[in-house]
Amino acid sequence: MALLSSILALRRHPALIKLPPYLSAFCIVVGIAWLLILPLNEYSRRTYVSENALLPGQVHTYFTGSEHDVFRAYRHEVHALIDRPVEERSKALESIFLEQNLKVSTQKYNYTVSNTTIASENVYAILQGPRADATEALVLIGAWKNMDDEVNNSGVALVLTLARYFKRWSLWSKDIIFLISADSTIGPQAWVDAYHNEHNEEEVESLKIKSGALQGAVAIDYPAGPWGHRYDKLHIVYDGVNGQLPNLDLFNTAVAIADGQMGIQCVIQRMFNHDDTYKERLMTMLRGMISQGLGHATGPHSSFIPYHVDAITLSTVGDGWHDEMTLGRTVESLFRSLNNLLEHLHQSFFFYLLLQSKRFVSIGTYLPSAMLIAVNFSITALALWVKSGKPAEGEEKIASTNPEPSKPATDDKSNSTSPATDTKSPPATEIVKLGDAVTIVPQSSTTTLERPLLLPALLVLTSHAIGLVPLYYFNTHPSTHLRALHLTAANASSILPFVFAWTGYYAPDTPIPTQTFTLIQCFSLLGLGLGLAALATLNFSLSIIIGVLSAPLSFVRRTESNALNILQLGLLAVLNPVMVAQWSSHYLGADLAEVLRLAAVGWRVWGLWTQVVVWVVWFPAWVVGGTIVAGGMF
Amino acid sequence: MLSSLLFLLLNAVITCVAASTGYHERLFLRPLPQGSLLASFNFVSNETQEAFEQQNFRYFPRSFGQILQHAHARELHLRFSVGRWDAEDWGERPWNGAREGGTGVELWAWVEADNEDEAFARWLTLTNALSGLFCASMNFIDATKTIRPVMAFAPEGPHGNVANLHLLHGTLPHEVVCTENLTPFLKLLPCKGKAGISSLLDGHKLFDASFQTMAIDVRPVCDGAGTDCSVEMEQTVDMVLNVARSKRPQNNPIPRPLPIDQLECDTSKPYNSGDSCYPLKKSTEPSWTLEEVFGRPLKGACPLTEETGDAAHTACIQTEPERTVNANTTGEYTEMKVGSDTIRCYKLPTGSDFDLVLPEQQLTTGLVRPSPPLFAARSINGHGQERGSTQSIIRNPSTTNTVEFVYLESLPWFMKPYLHTLRARLDTTSASPIKETYYRPAIDRKRGTHLELLMTIPPNSTLTLTYDFEKAILRYTEYPPDANRGFDAAPAVIRVLSPNTGDRKGMYIRTTSLLLPLPTPDFSMPYNVIILTSTVMALGFGNIFNLLVRRFVGADEVPVGAGGLKGLVMGKVGRLRALVGM
Repeated sequence: MALLSSILALRRHPALIKLPPYLSAFCIVVGIAWLLILPLNEYSRRTYVSENALLPGQVHTYFTGSEHDVFRAYRHEVHALIDRPVEERSKALESIFLEQNLKVSTQKYNYTVSNTTIASENVYAILQGPRADATEALVLIGAWKNMDDEVNNSGVALVLTLARYFKRWSLWSKDIIFLISADSTIGPQAWVDAYHNEHNEEEVESLKIKSGALQGAVAIDYPAGPWGHRYDKLHIVYDGVNGQLPNLDLFNTAVAIADGQMGIQCVIQRMFNHDDTYKERLMTMLRGMISQGLGHATGPHSSFIPYHVDAITLSTVGDGWHDEMTLGRTVESLFRSLNNLLEHLHQSFFFYLLLQSKRFVSIGTYLPSAMLIAVNFSITALALWVKSGKPAEGEEKIASTNPEPSKPATDDKSNSTSPATDTKSPPATEIVKLGDAVTIVPQSSTTTLERPLLLPALLVLTSHAIGLVPLYYFNTHPSTHLRALHLTAANASSILPFVFAWTGYYAPDTPIPTQTFTLIQCFSLLGLGLGLAALATLNFSLSIIIGVLSAPLSFVRRTESNALNILQLGLLAVLNPVMVAQWSSHYLGADLAEVLRLAAVGWRVWGLWTQVVVWVVWFPAWVVGGTIVAGGMF
Repeated sequence: MLSSLLFLLLNAVITCVAASTGYHERLFLRPLPQGSLLASFNFVSNETQEAFEQQNFRYFPRSFGQILQHAHARELHLRFSVGRWDAEDWGERPWNGAREGGTGVELWAWVEADNEDEAFARWLTLTNALSGLFCASMNFIDATKTIRPVMAFAPEGPHGNVANLHLLHGTLPHEVVCTENLTPFLKLLPCKGKAGISSLLDGHKLFDASFQTMAIDVRPVCDGAGTDCSVEMEQTVDMVLNVARSKRPQNNPIPRPLPIDQLECDTSKPYNSGDSCYPLKKSTEPSWTLEEVFGRPLKGACPLTEETGDAAHTACIQTEPERTVNANTTGEYTEMKVGSDTIRCYKLPTGSDFDLVLPEQQLTTGLVRPSPPLFAARSINGHGQERGSTQSIIRNPSTTNTVEFVYLESLPWFMKPYLHTLRARLDTTSASPIKETYYRPAIDRKRGTHLELLMTIPPNSTLTLTYDFEKAILRYTEYPPDANRGFDAAPAVIRVLSPNTGDRKGMYIRTTSLLLPLPTPDFSMPYNVIILTSTVMALGFGNIFNLLVRRFVGADEVPVGAGGLKGLVMGKVGRLRALVGM
């Protein structure tokens, strides 16, 4: 009882009221520090293959000898098709597959994104497993063009050669589908959508032949020309659309085979020279997080992952001594491993951050950092809620015999109708009995002001609804005008807080009280905190990126000081989501117009959710923060 | 079209042979495109009805006959199948699909019983007995996997008392058919795989086939007057072998890349050189012999087959008349040509090996492959843990015939179809192709869904049948050990009613089975919980048990006995006395 009463007494402790901002800041600092210690050996683990059935690298590979001659011939064939029209190319690829006694089909697609038509044709062939019953299938992808828009000459030739080679084996327990998609992101998406019958038939043609449930997909990216090119390392790309990742077992199997069996070093996240220092590991992790946070398709494999089909892309990098047959043997061994699978890949992790090809951090270790950052908003929101219920003159000294006329916390006009109007009179007191103890406390510390919730809630909801406007325009505007649209959005969004603050100040008959502003900020931060915490379990990286970039929203307050206001507004202007897109794309070396175009493609074709989070979660929170600060200017 | 007619003729020949009494066998080989070879083995044993009822078995296997009598099964069909028939390339199915089953095990029988409960009890007896006989998990065909088809199956033999006959049908799509099922199958044959065409049946080759089905059909056969009846057991093995794959020697089955000088290159390509070779597709028919393809020699005729007449010519091959077929044997054989020389049948020598040798040959003519009446493909659409949809695409390739057929789905109870979402669309007309529907909904954990549709497809049309379903959440003990693999849904059975074949066997097509992923719990979690709880229980139990049964005695209260050997003996005696209560 005594404990309870002392806790109750503590509730009113002035130190406790002052604590939340420090607690919020502490959460952010710990959250970021948490992320920074992850690359250390103590907090990361070596990767391991969890699924016993995979047995990576346990088979002898036979893809050598005369297959090399066949490969060179196919490479010439593919090279001759480079400048041909799509129909002719499809015909030629079809005829090669037909000669190999495979079932062949094509699929046309035609998307209209940002007033631009994206149309092409996929070719695919099905190798029916000799003893398989069409219930399971694996996919080997060779996109005609890779992510850098180079023709995947050797990659496609390797898929053709492997198709011919795989056909001779009788051990396949699953069907193998060879997919030559027209490009690296849209073609595979059209194909995999149609495979699961989730496509719009006006845009994407239905598949004429199908097989069973897809168990895994591997894409080859090897853009060497008709005379070959020896490579140094294998770059394994694993990010899926919306930051979803393939099962870590698939990645580990690929690394174990390439590195352990074939002796090809594996790299990830374009860190081509990884010397396993703390800095390199951190860089790899951060690159992985940015890629995951953006949620864009990073290769032909990306479209498969949302359908719970684990997929990776093997891409060759550098100049070295490994040749195409080594890559072919790697794929052969990988397919032999996947062929062993009795169940869908499920044993290992689906949520992880990779530090290098053989070290990872699992979700249990890294999740707290994003959660801490999300929690900081919730803490501030709670503090603001408590604050909104307290009369403004809470800090009056009760013992003061001659109370000075209190300086109003806000300007006179808003103060005149605020609940603390009659501060001129001595503060009201009341007698509190707690057991034997009797004390006189100011009434303000025991009473709670009534909080009118309708207006703040409506305003916050409106700000979220406003986010739908740019979401619509950015995804439907013609691609040539996206740059101009972005400029308009940047200007409009910068002015928006001032417009809101001005409206709030002048438009109604009676200006909006301070309490309402506090409540608006409270609701907005509460929404942001909860939204980011939920997002952290789906796309950790996006959650932590938005969390860090909007961290100042916890600390911006309405002040009288113009200097402080300008400082706050300056900071917020830099952290405006529209501006973040600008400077981050500049810093990361990307073309903003291309980023915006890809975002529209992502929304239309890949089913990308990043924009929704940006415009409906992040942007409204930023607008509210800006409005709070801008309110101080009037 | 000529050869199609001839193939039907051959079927008629076999049917004629089957109607007589005794034992007959026939091997029918048919080269298929792309280096494949269809081998149909057919064994027919007959027993008169009286002999069968008096358990006086001659050709009919006793073990099997007794099971049938015990379970009161009047007609029985059992199928073991692996792989799929590639109708696009291989054309019409052997026996019009009447001797084919869905992937895994399929069993249907007409059981004589007074009521449904008794019929089901006898059905369980039958499945359990067959399970033991064939080393298959047929005992898992329980009420949830059993249906009573209405339109999809018709009895093949004449039955007197139809009112008391109950048709039950069960499937095990996940059953993997292998050598342990072949051995009991061969043991039912009179020559038991030691002689005759059955000596070619080797597990290694049979189960390396691209398509393989083993069938047992028992039916009554009566003569025209319906008086002289006998029980006929037909055993059938159909397999499609890939000749190139089958010819690989047993001790070196790895398809290593050919040496470069053995690779046939397209020299017309501009880049053709010592290191680049565009592989040419072989236009010649591959060479093969029976021994190469089946991995063992044909050990002469089974002595129980007839000595003369058509039935004595047990090994037949259907091929182009210009194709060279040489018989290689030390014994005496005769060749018989039927059907404008497209079918060659051989009477096997007794006691010496027989082999057919076909050299590699460039052919100028080809046999017309009859097209199947329908093409059918079925797949699961959608993704996610909650719902999905099934899509069946059935195509009528004929330009003249409207095809009427019955479509039978037997779904497990945890796949719950929404019948209101059932749509059947034709691409040529807007008229509904569904004429009749028979639907028996599932009851959780008691029985599965049974759906039969009578439909028609106009010529040259494609029918798309779709329905949505919901995935049930199972109790965690109901998951199999490989829960994350998914659950198999049995193939759909399509029975073509018209145009009909004219015989009682009917014409059937089966789709492939489906793999249904269900929401699966993380099984490592319950495992951890079980281990933790067990540890806590063990700790608690151990302590309490210790306190209850142990007698605590102060150190100074321990009786001081005499030391040494005497003391030990005294102690033992004392304990013994205490035990017997003296």
